[in-house]
Amino acid sequence: MSTKTPAAPADRQVQTASPRLPNPGSRKFFRTIEPYIWIAPSIILMAIFIVTPIFKVFQLSMNKVTRAGKLKGFNNFENFTTVIKDPSFALVLKNTILWTVAVVVLSTLLGFILALFLNNEFKGRKVARAIVVFPWATTLVIQASAWKFIVNTDYGTLNTLLMRMGIISAPMNWTSTPAAWFGWEIACGIFVTIPFVCFCVLSGLQSIDASYYEAATVDGAGYFQKLFKITLPLVKSSLTVSTVLNIIYVFNSFPIIWTMTKGDPANRTDTLVTYLYKLAFYNGKQGEASAVSVIGFIILLMCASVYMIYTLRKGDEDL
Amino acid sequence: MTQTVKKPVSVKKTVLRLLLYFVVLDVCIITLYPYFAMLCTALKSREEIFSAAGTVLPITALWSNFIDIWSRAPMAKYMLNSILIAGGSTIIAMLCGIPAAYALARMKFKGQTAFLGFVIVSQMFAPVVLLIGIYQVMQVLHLTDSILGLVFINAAFNQAFTIWLLRGTFMGISADMEQAATIDGCNRIQSMMKVLLPVAAPGIVTTLIFIFINAWNEYTVALCLISTDTLKPLTVGINIFNGYNIIEWQYLFAASIFAIIPVVILFMCIEKNLVSGLASGGVKG
Repeated sequence: MSTKTPAAPADRQVQTASPRLPNPGSRKFFRTIEPYIWIAPSIILMAIFIVTPIFKVFQLSMNKVTRAGKLKGFNNFENFTTVIKDPSFALVLKNTILWTVAVVVLSTLLGFILALFLNNEFKGRKVARAIVVFPWATTLVIQASAWKFIVNTDYGTLNTLLMRMGIISAPMNWTSTPAAWFGWEIACGIFVTIPFVCFCVLSGLQSIDASYYEAATVDGAGYFQKLFKITLPLVKSSLTVSTVLNIIYVFNSFPIIWTMTKGDPANRTDTLVTYLYKLAFYNGKQGEASAVSVIGFIILLMCASVYMIYTLRKGDEDL
Repeated sequence: MTQTVKKPVSVKKTVLRLLLYFVVLDVCIITLYPYFAMLCTALKSREEIFSAAGTVLPITALWSNFIDIWSRAPMAKYMLNSILIAGGSTIIAMLCGIPAAYALARMKFKGQTAFLGFVIVSQMFAPVVLLIGIYQVMQVLHLTDSILGLVFINAAFNQAFTIWLLRGTFMGISADMEQAATIDGCNRIQSMMKVLLPVAAPGIVTTLIFIFINAWNEYTVALCLISTDTLKPLTVGINIFNGYNIIEWQYLFAASIFAIIPVVILFMCIEKNLVSGLASGGVKG
């Protein structure tokens, strides 16, 4: 952020010209503190409801904690070692990585392709765009309930539909294993993430000057050449934004898994957030749950920063 | 497709056109399918849902399900709670966010970059990973199991989005008019209220609706903090039909449809403005 905006000196002249405060000293003082008064409500709100909880979580993760949430002193990172030694933690971590990578990669790919299609002029384009936005606007818990119902073996509509269409003759068990459940959860995650990627890419696509494509066509470039040499580099910033945000949001996503399986059976479909929710609010292990939170922050911070550094550096090379 | 073309159209172009329609149509069908399934199920009787020979469309549309849910669960309460939470969060997020965005767009101060950086980084902390901390803070403030508590949490976690989007909107508007107003004797607050905000109205409305939707759709914090049934918002409350032993799918989906409709309509109104704002701002609510 540039702190030297050209508007600032003009702003100051106007301020000096205004005959509000008679005492020059107090006026100067007021001008210095004025911006802080303007941002104060926001700072107070975030300090109480975001920063304090962050601080609390770090504090709890370092301390022995009673079931009632009372701190019993620093316990030499025992919460972390207990969590990491628990065999289910490795499983949960693996699930979390699989969940995040699968949902982010596939929804980015599919969202990008869908955006390329929707960027064409065709009849009903407005309607199509409005429909595609649906899953983004729907609360995840309802979306997940619908999916849970659709894939049910005994009365799910997917089986009914496929049987009516003559594709299958007897009901299929779509969710025979925990892995199958997890697969459906990933599918649901992709389904609800695509619209956001799609619309980010669309906004990038719409800002590309058509003359680039015309020039490339004149030079004899094919569709894929144009896609990789013009489209992709120009929507890269939109894609970066959507990808970084999706990594954060998918990693932290709770309602889909909670609604469909609650992480059961035996942590087989748990991710870090459902795991820590159960640790904290079902088993009363707040210290360990906080340790899981902190591990989550660290992983997320690493992913986000590696990605940002990588894309920033690549961006510099292109310039 | 109306192909009443005089000049010959290349086969390749027609094939591509058909492919485009085919893909878009498929995507729309798949996207709408869960909603279609929900609506059909909401109109069936319990017996029909669980019958061995499943039906796609309901044999007879049982619209009474949509009426029954209001007596089988405190739906009106849930609805009211959702409105209070979403409305309250929006008001507080805007009251805190507008001045902050204004300061960032129109003033120069020490720590500006740091504040902006903090706003962006705060996006990394989802409420769910902070739930334990949030719960403890709420205990101290006596705001567990209260709608006001959810209002504050939603407002706080939507600050990043609010500030970022509004800052972008304000910066896109020239400060000349406000300066003219200041020379005419308006103070900062007057020039903001009378000059800037009316011009920034489209951006403000977009932000406002988006916060409302986010707060309306919020599930995790409400699930954790609210234990009294009559204080639950729709997202948590409708799970009354989603019991451990019996799931009343017809009622669950009938209630879900009430929860979805207002949001989808609002979302379609702001979709265009929102997307450009998001892409430039780099925040997702």
